[in-house]
Parts: sequence; C-alpha cells; structure tokens
Amino acid sequence: MRQRLCSSLVGCILAGLILPCTASADALADMRKTGRMLWGGDQEGGGPYVFPVENNPSQVTGFEVDLANRIAEYLKVKAEFTQGQWDKMPDMLRTRKIHAIINGYEFTRERTEIMDATIPYYVYALQLMGRGDNPRIDSWASLRKGAGSARAKIGVLNGSVAEAYARTYCGQRCDVVAYDGNTDTMREVETGKLDATIEDTPIASFYAPRFRALRRIENPVQRGYYVIYVGKGETALLRALNEAIVLMVRNGDIERIYRKYGIWDEQQAELADIAGKGRFYGYFRATDARIERNRMPTEESVKADTRKHGWQVVRDYSGILIQSAGMTVVLSCLSFPLAILVGLMIAVGRLYGRSWLRLPLTGYVEFLRGTPVMLQLYFIFFFLPEIGVKVPAFWTAILGLAINYSAYESEIYRAGLQAIPKGQMEAALSLGMSRVLALRRIVVPQAVRIVIPPVVNDFIALFKDTSVCSVVTIVELTKRFSVLSMSTQATVELMGMTAVLYLMMSYPMSIVSRRIEKRLGLESQA
Amino acid sequence: MITIANLVKSYGRNEILKGISFEVQKGQVHSIIGPSGGGKSTFLRCINGLEPFQGGEIRVGNRVLTPATSPRSDARLLEAVRRQVGFVFQQFNLFPHLTVLENVIEAPMQVLKLKRGEATGRAEVLLERVGLEAKRHAYPRDLSGGQQQRVAIARALVMEPDAILFDEPTSALDPVMAGEILSLMEGLARDGQTMIVVTHSMGFARNVASQVHVFADGCDVESGPPSKVFGDPRHPTTKSFLSQIAKD
Repeated sequence: MRQRLCSSLVGCILAGLILPCTASADALADMRKTGRMLWGGDQEGGGPYVFPVENNPSQVTGFEVDLANRIAEYLKVKAEFTQGQWDKMPDMLRTRKIHAIINGYEFTRERTEIMDATIPYYVYALQLMGRGDNPRIDSWASLRKGAGSARAKIGVLNGSVAEAYARTYCGQRCDVVAYDGNTDTMREVETGKLDATIEDTPIASFYAPRFRALRRIENPVQRGYYVIYVGKGETALLRALNEAIVLMVRNGDIERIYRKYGIWDEQQAELADIAGKGRFYGYFRATDARIERNRMPTEESVKADTRKHGWQVVRDYSGILIQSAGMTVVLSCLSFPLAILVGLMIAVGRLYGRSWLRLPLTGYVEFLRGTPVMLQLYFIFFFLPEIGVKVPAFWTAILGLAINYSAYESEIYRAGLQAIPKGQMEAALSLGMSRVLALRRIVVPQAVRIVIPPVVNDFIALFKDTSVCSVVTIVELTKRFSVLSMSTQATVELMGMTAVLYLMMSYPMSIVSRRIEKRLGLESQA
Repeated sequence: MITIANLVKSYGRNEILKGISFEVQKGQVHSIIGPSGGGKSTFLRCINGLEPFQGGEIRVGNRVLTPATSPRSDARLLEAVRRQVGFVFQQFNLFPHLTVLENVIEAPMQVLKLKRGEATGRAEVLLERVGLEAKRHAYPRDLSGGQQQRVAIARALVMEPDAILFDEPTSALDPVMAGEILSLMEGLARDGQTMIVVTHSMGFARNVASQVHVFADGCDVESGPPSKVFGDPRHPTTKSFLSQIAKD
C-alpha cells in the first residue's frame, strides 16, 4: 500500500535512544497460550485492505481481515485486529503490542533489516488511471511527453512506492502531487483537478466501480509483494505463517478471498510459483499435503460500487461518529483535571517551593512545552515498554495529554498566582497561618478565579488535541472521520458532521466558563 | 512583653535599621513617628517576622527571633509569634474573595481551630464594635476604605493577640475616615490593648501613645512620653521634623 521511504522524524530520534533489544520472546508460543493472534493494521488505509463494514462501521472487513482470520484458523487461534497508525506498525511489533503486521506492507530490504518477512500473500503492481474522457493521457509514455501546452498533473499517495516511481519516471515532465489519502487522488482525477493517478492494483480494482469516470491505462507496472512482517527472530511464527500461506495458495483459499474483493488478477499466478518452491525451504508439510480445492466463489462478493450521499451518510454514520466523540470526551475529561492539578502543584512549587525544587520544575515545564505531545505519547507507548513499563493505550493517552497540558496549565497558574498582591500572603501569614494554609485558603482560590478564562481555553484546545492519540492506537472522533472518509469518500458530509460534533462539545464549555466567570469575576475585584 | 535589642536590618549594603532597641510593656501604646524612609515600617515588619534581619534579637513573650530565624525551618516559631502579635496594614489587605464575616472568622477557624459558631460569635462582637455588623455579608469591594480598615482591625483583634502592630493605618484614607479609625484605635488603647503604631497622625501620638519614638535614618533618635518629645524635643531631627509637620 504505502511505503514511507524515510522513517518519520519521531522514529529516527527514538531509534537512536533505544538500545537493540535482544531478549526474544516466542510470539507463536504466546499466541498459542492466549489463543489469540494480534495482527496490526490501519483501517484509515481503506478498502480493500482493512476498512469499516458498510452497515456496521464499528466492525472491520477487507481482504486482509479475511486473510488473517483464515491464517489464524490454520494456527488454531483466533485472529484479533489491532488498530494502529500505519507507519507506526513496526514500533507496535517491536514493543509486542501485536504479533504480526498484515496491512499492505511491501517487501523491502530496509524493512527486513528490522523485521522478518513471510513469503508474499499478494502480488501488486502500479496501475495508471486517467479520466475516461481525457484523451491527453492515454499511456505511460504520454506522461513523459509532457503532452499539450500545460504539464500533466499526477496524483500519488504520499510516501508510497507509486510516488517514488512517478518521480523517477516522469518527475521532470509532470507535476507529481502527493496526497495523504488512498482514494483522494481518484476523486481528484474524477473532478478534473488531476490528469492521472498511480495506484496499487488492489485499490484500482476495488474502487473502480465507485469511480466510473476513471479508466485504467495500459497494464500495471512495477510488480511488488505484500508480505506479513513478524518480529525479528520469530522463526517459529514465521514458519507457521509461511506454511499457512503455502496451503492457502494451494487450496485456493487465497484466490477465494481475493475474488470476493475483486482483486484477483493474473499477477497472482506468481503466488503459486512461490508456494511451489516452498519445499526447497523445508515446507514439505505444506507443499505435500493433500488438499481439497475449495469451490469458488463461495462467499458473497464485496464491492465498492455505490457511493453514499447526503442524508444517507448522516443516517448511517452519525451513530459511530457520536460513539467516537464519546472517546474524545472521555479522554479530555479524564486528562484535563489531572493536568490542572499537576499544573497547579508545579506553579506553586516554582513560586513558593524550596530553591532546589525550582530548577527541575522549570525543566519539566520547558521540556514538555517545547516538545510535541505526539512525541510524548509515542515515548510512553513505544519506549517505556523497552524498559519494562507497559502502559495500555488508553492510559497512555490520558497520561500523555495530562503531562503535556500540565506544563501549560502551570504557566497559566504561575501568571495567576503572581497577579495576587504580595499583601495577601503577608496578611494571611500575619494572622498566624502557615504558608501552605495561606496558599490553600487565600492565594490559590484568588488565582483560580483569575485563570478561569485561559484554563477553559486550554480545555477546548485539549479537546481537539485528543486527535493525536491516534498514534497510540486510540480511535477518537478525528481518526474515525479519517477512516470513514477514506472508505466511503463521503468526505464533505462526514467533515460537516465531525465539525458539528466538536462544536457541540466545546461550545457549551465556553458558556459554562462565562457563567462561572460572571459569578466569581464580580467577587474577585477588590 | 516585646523586647527589641540592637535590631539591624539591611538590604545589601543599604542599612535600613542601625541597631534599634526598645521595650514594650503590657498595655502600653508606642507610637513611632518620623520622616519617610526612616525605617518605621520595616521595623514593624521585622517584629512579626515578615522581614528577616541581620543583627540583634526580638523577644516576644518567651519566644525569640534572631538573624538565624528562617522562614521555612522556623515556620512554627514564626506562626506562634504572629498569633501573639497582630498586624494592620496600610493597604488593609482584606481577602477579596471572602465576605466581611468570612474575612474575620477565617483565621480563628483555620489557625485556632475554632468551630464556626464560636468564631462567628467572636466575630460578631467585634464587627459590632467596629460598627460594621450590618455589612457582615458584604464583600470588601463594596466597602469604603475606612470600612475596610475597620474590618482589618476586627480581623486582627479576633485572634486576641497580646499586641497589635499598626503600619500607617490611616495613610490611605481621607481625613474623615482616618478620624474614625483613630478614634477606634483610641478606644482599643483605653481598653488596655498593647499596640505599636507607626503613624503620621501627631494627634494620636500626642494624645493616645504612652511612648513616642522618633525614627530617622534607621535610628531611634529620640523617645519618651509624648509630653517630653513634643514639648521639649532635644534631637535636631525631631525639632526639624516637628516644625515641618507644624507648617503643613
């Protein structure tokens, strides 16, 4: 599907921090023990890989879902899909949050250096697609010609093999435009903003019925292979998976699944060749087993031919969007009180604490304010397990947001506390109060009143920042929007609904804060 | 009851108090007068531990503050001293988020651990005395400066301190309100309340104080009963200060 040619900045930084982890656990034994195969994928990638079920968007479907379920059957375990950010899959594998990656991960040399790959389960290639009524682009060669007066515009998925290929093939003659969504480019070609797009064959085949104005141009080029990745050194699991794939290629399971999604093509013949050679690698059990060929196609085929519009989208997806908004609310409402509490303690410590406390507290604030919350979440989720601290995704999100926002809140409180005249503390002390009592009863209550507006402001900001939690596999409102928009292409309607939901959550808070301000604000002016 | 011996206070090289000694007996009213910048307020603030000092000692009852007294490690000692010695500020420093009554009962409840009813009982007597019983549920912002200062005095009195320090209590007030405060303080003096009052009101110093001190340039240049200080000033600073006052 996609290939990040250079790993993200985050990855680079953390890779430097992390010492090679040599302790090896047997993933297969773990799977057998728990009876589950946890496999990672990102439903935002869309069809036909892993995507929400049309009529029940909280469930996933896709050829990789079927594939994983069938493989798990061979391994006598239950397949369990684990949602994660696509480019973070290797980290999830490394920290053993999943046993295997099955998500359009191409076989590349770079990846096999950090993970072990099975034999291919799908042979993909790059398909050039243009608009049916646009004669200007009619072949790969026409891209190179720079035909016509203007340069042709080619849309590709950001960081994909297709992008790399387009840039080398015709980067000089065309404008290669990178998009973040799998099907965004197809829509753009349809509307005429792009002249052509280059897609992996499964996407081109699966979505062809939905984009009827598009036509495939020439045969696919640049053959490549999707493989399952497992942790480095997981030879037992690798063997078991390879045997299952060989069997499934031989008995037609794979063909049956791919036909169901309309992605079986002549290129898949190569799978049989590869499976046949299995015996040279010692997979005798799988290559020699007597098999009964499955009848095909036994299942109802899954097609993406209709595109929902307008009210139909609202009706079908508002339920799941509201459900995901619930996650957003839970994340904010659990993390923010924690942030306020920690922030207040830090501010008090910095202003009134002992001098040796101040430097570390200042460091804490500056460090957390100065680094992205995404990186902090990433650190908790993917680095702490390396040193034996396992925090579940949900609590990682709560903790990460709380820690990050505590730095901001502490600065707000510091300003609020400093705005309280020195005479207030002196008056309290002169009545025999201890410093702690004076802070608690006199200074902090006044500061709290001052900081209500900026604190509420931050709460609303946090509300929307919860969307970064998708890097640690949490699916909240924004992630749900991306997932649905990618699989349904009803982007405008979904965007509207998502925006309305955010607004419905944040606006009441503005009102409540104004009420509190009004009530307390009057009392606070001396 | 309060004995100050050779008190030295400096900010860096700038010496604010250059060795001041005096003693306050129970029931006495000491008035400190003198030109601005003479160290009067700083002196008061040292007595109840709001300012650390560099030399000498301050004895309040049987408790002793020294230059080694630290606001953190000797917090208990300082709190004990402050419970014995109340303080009334020039700027009142009422707690703006609390009502008049709450301002007065806050410390009795939190520091003396009195029950709300008991603290309120004490407070009501005092609010009556300062003439603000009717304003008990008002917030400080709804009061005039004079009324605020009267609440501040009630707030100090409710702790039943052995002595009260007044730091220019009328300087932020217009003459009418200042008059109200001064007569209230005069009443306290008559009842035998021990007080040290930094003031610019010569009337109060002359008529109410049992001892008058003239502070100038960090020294207690002249002290004694008001009749002596005002009637027969010896020190040139006292003379020029009093004649300056007389001209105004």
